[in-house]
Formats: sequence, C-alpha cells, structure tokens
Amino acid sequence: MKIELFHAPGCSRCAGARESLKAAAETAVTGLEWREINVLDEMDYAVERGVLSLPAVVIDGELVFSSLPTPQQLRAALIRRNDRRR
Amino acid sequence: MLTIGKLAALTETSTDTLRYYEREGLIEPADRTESGYRLYDKGSERRIRFIRQAQHCGFTLTEIRDLLVLRNRDAACCGDVRKRAIEKKLQLEHKIKAMKSMSKALDRLIADCANEAQPVEDCTIIAALEQAVGQVH
Repeated sequence: MKIELFHAPGCSRCAGARESLKAAAETAVTGLEWREINVLDEMDYAVERGVLSLPAVVIDGELVFSSLPTPQQLRAALIRRNDRRR
Repeated sequence: MLTIGKLAALTETSTDTLRYYEREGLIEPADRTESGYRLYDKGSERRIRFIRQAQHCGFTLTEIRDLLVLRNRDAACCGDVRKRAIEKKLQLEHKIKAMKSMSKALDRLIADCANEAQPVEDCTIIAALEQAVGQVH
C-alpha cells in the first residue's frame, strides 16, 4: 500500500504529526510505501491527485484525508482498505 | 481623517465597493462626522490595498477576512499565511486544469465541424452537445 502525505514546507503541524502517522501506518499494514511530498516541488502531481488543502493524505492514488488525520483515523482507514482488498 | 470619497480615490476603488467591504466586515470607519458621514484613518488605506491585492491573487472575501485576522494575530506566523497562499495556488491550478480540459473539448468540437455553410440542423457541434446532454441524463 502506498501512502503519500502532501504538505507545505515549513508546516509545523505536519512536521509534528509525521512520525506518529508513519508509525501508525506501519502497524496497520505490511509492505507500506511512505512518501512525503512538498507540494511546491510537485504541484502538478498534487493537482492530479485532487489535493486542494494541506496537509492531505493520498492512499493508493486516492485522496482520503484533506486535512491531517489522527494516527487512529489513518490506521482505521488503512485497515478498512486492506480488508476490502482481500 | 479621510472621507469615503477621498479614500476611494486614494485606493482606486469606488465608494460602493468600500460600502460593500464594510457590509462584508472587511473594513469599518474609524469615526463618523456629526452628520453621520464615514471617516477613515490611514490604516484603512493599507487595509484596502491589502484586500485589493489579495483579490488579485484569487482570494475570496471570506478568505481575505481570515487573512486579515491572521495579520493581526500575535500567535500567527508567516507559515500560516504561506500555507493559505499555497492552498490558493492549488485551487487555481485545479481550475486551470479544468479550463484546459474544456478548451480541448471545444477544440475537438470545432475540428469535427467540417462545413460551416451547413444548415444549423446538421451542425455537428450542436449534435455532439445534444448527445452529451443525453449521456448526462
């Protein structure tokens, strides 16, 4: 599963939450691909993914959170997706 | 102190616009004359230039109101404003993408219309649009 966290550079809220989100994601699924994307570096890609507000979380190409989720919310979303795959 | 007419002239706006900004909670007169005419201070001029510039960058009046609050909030930092600017850019890029797609759709319709002398009932553009309406329903 691929998770992309789109953030604005210098966003202190994102910086503080990143590690706990990543840790929550790693406990939820195996084979996780985690990417942190500075929207200023990849503006076209962010637009393509439908990102309109920051931070945003895209899971397997689908915009799932348009604001910062809690680690629990992210974990639950990943587990749901994983169950749907099976 | 400035009257509404003088402030409008200084900021290259109209008095109607200034009254509209006031109704929207973006500006307010610093004082009133005895006869009730609005009077503005120099801060209002700066505020209006800020509003105009933000509008020019695509911010809505509601967003500008938030920016003005941020501007005066001690706890806010440059990053808060920058994040809003980046989000606005994302929204504009989305619109540009949608408009480019519309423009391409029109290109196809124009290219498909081979004969401009045809009667309107044989117009391929109208036929294509009618077909599209059918698909929507």
